Amino acid sequence: MSRDAILGRVREALSVKTDPHVREVAEKSSHSLPVLANGPDGRTQAVKEFLPFVGDSLEDHIAAFKILSDKLQTEFIVVPTIEAARQAIEQMREQHQWERIGIHDHELVQSCVDHLKVEFTNTSSNYSTSELEKCDVGISGCDALIAQTASALVTNHSAGGRALSVLPPHHVVVAESSQMVTTMADGFAIIREKHNEKWPSFISFITGPSRTADIERILVLGAHGPKKLTIIMISA
Amino acid sequence: MSQSTNPFTQFQTDADRVTADDDRRRFLRTSLRGYQSTRTATQNRFLDYESARIAASDAKWEAIENLDIYLAQFADKLEARGATVHWCNDSEEARNAILEIIKKHDAKSVIKSKCMTTEEIHLNQLLEKEGFEVVESDLGEFIVQLRDEAPYHFVFPAMHLKKEEINTLFQEKLKSINTNDPEELTMVAREVLRQKYLSADIGISGANFGVAETGMISITENEGNARLTTALPKVHISLMGIEKIIPRLEDLALLLPILATAGTGQHLTCYNSQLGGPRQEDESDGPIEMHVVLLDNHRTRLLADPEQRDALRCIRCGACLNVCPIFKNVGGHTYGTTYQGPIGSVITPHLRGLKDWKHLSHSSSLCGACTETCPVKIDLHHHLLRNRRNAAGKGQGGIAERLLMLGFTVVMRRPWLYRLAGSLGKVGHVLTKPIHGTRIDPFYAWKKTRDLDDPAKQSFRQYWRARK
Ligand code: SF4
Repeated sequence: MSRDAILGRVREALSVKTDPHVREVAEKSSHSLPVLANGPDGRTQAVKEFLPFVGDSLEDHIAAFKILSDKLQTEFIVVPTIEAARQAIEQMREQHQWERIGIHDHELVQSCVDHLKVEFTNTSSNYSTSELEKCDVGISGCDALIAQTASALVTNHSAGGRALSVLPPHHVVVAESSQMVTTMADGFAIIREKHNEKWPSFISFITGPSRTADIERILVLGAHGPKKLTIIMISA
Repeated sequence: MSQSTNPFTQFQTDADRVTADDDRRRFLRTSLRGYQSTRTATQNRFLDYESARIAASDAKWEAIENLDIYLAQFADKLEARGATVHWCNDSEEARNAILEIIKKHDAKSVIKSKCMTTEEIHLNQLLEKEGFEVVESDLGEFIVQLRDEAPYHFVFPAMHLKKEEINTLFQEKLKSINTNDPEELTMVAREVLRQKYLSADIGISGANFGVAETGMISITENEGNARLTTALPKVHISLMGIEKIIPRLEDLALLLPILATAGTGQHLTCYNSQLGGPRQEDESDGPIEMHVVLLDNHRTRLLADPEQRDALRCIRCGACLNVCPIFKNVGGHTYGTTYQGPIGSVITPHLRGLKDWKHLSHSSSLCGACTETCPVKIDLHHHLLRNRRNAAGKGQGGIAERLLMLGFTVVMRRPWLYRLAGSLGKVGHVLTKPIHGTRIDPFYAWKKTRDLDDPAKQSFRQYWRARK
């Protein structure tokens, strides 16, 4: 079988050790690398120690998230209570004249939208793609907010499937400040723990509205995914 | 770009043509300067970029040096989650595997997100021949597909085109409005492609990484087209080279920012998605089938080279192209390869044969800019030298080169002959003056772009003797 053939060739190829000179060139560096732990911990440590610094406190994280969000053109709103989040969403509905909203079974999302007088498409069970396509916005939860990259980490459980957060022209994420973590590695750890190795089939780091610069390197938002990304964080 | 001529002749002809096109070269340089400045700014935000780079490079080393273990683990994990893994020795097997899936589902239309590996196996040509509609959804890829061209750069496929040219193309092929505005042009493509998504039966994607620990592929993108490709159609096929494996999920937390920084100068690209299997029992959407097509296609041949296997650690960020003086001057199409620039010049001779592609080892000034910029520290410019050595060792240098070297050795070993050659050369230079620069000059090709000064009246030896 091809599996055995390929793995056989790989094994045979690897039976000759990598030329030490080549290894050395690849590793040669003017400064020595801090010792990293083996396994996932080592990588987690590297991400924390080498990638951009975003502080340790929640305030620092929020500040860093805000700065990057502005650069990415993500609308990042911090509100004190669920009530305030409801109002913010109501205002958006008015301003953008939303008529149909995509949502899913998610406690926080539900409590933020149950007052809206619009049509809803719920993606938590069988739904029609063409109906979701007609939605003006998709509102979802998330698993974590990543301070280092200003990303919302979602899975198909926390964000109502694969399409709700990408098909409508506007994506709104509602989150709580307790969900803010430092690095992407911390984000993976949360999913690891939550799903206890029974991984969701879809995980995504969403970092800003959809974009392209394929024409003369000029930035255009909303290439295929949402033109607009709003992240509402309820600060406890 | 002509396909029929041999790769070397094609390279020379195209290189001549592109280097003569000042305007286009200036256009490319401006855009690459833009890349350079954003990248520098992003890189400077790192607490310690150099260490991050070494750690990233380490993660890929670990994967490549234990590839058999990680590949098997990757496939087993994926299959345990309901995906089907197809192991393919070469392009033909991969094409057939994909074709079979499409036929089985009686599909009509196929939507694709960016995947260089499908270019490598010439998938589109086959599918179109078989009567399927195949649409590239990445904007850059969509543009070059409409032009019936190969991507110019494996990260920026349409970087060589000006907005006016894209306007003309869209008017012609899509009956679109007349506009040079990148935003409006993008929206035209968005509308056209939206409809394709909703009707496509099959979505084909690539994979930037394959996570062995969890059995997931990871896709990096900005537009959201890969997300739609893997969310809407009922079947998802992902084609990936066997070298894309990484050991653990956490490796992504390092590799994804590194890839974005080196690739486009972003701190992270817009969507970084990990997909492990088709829709699961408790999930409400996603494809009902997921197929991962694993491709060898001579990658194991490169792996078997203990000097150059590190080239398999490449994460296809494209940075080495962006800094390469040769790429900037001859452009992407000239290479005639799926992977352009320094990394393409290094791996193509391994993947497609040294004999036809050895000339690529010379498409380098050996300045080492590629090695310096590579986020996973691949020893690129030395590999180009190693390829040159290998070609010479195999006697593939060509008759002329061998004669030249033989003559050189003979002359250099005999001082009297060297002196004689020196004086004869001087006389010869004067005598052949009338034909300099004409086609019958044996050094025509060399002199085309260079001037040969008159030799000095006095040789160094004569000068030295006179001084004493
Ligand atoms: S060789 Fe290095 S710089 Fe070039 S594309 Fe691969 S990873 Fe990027």
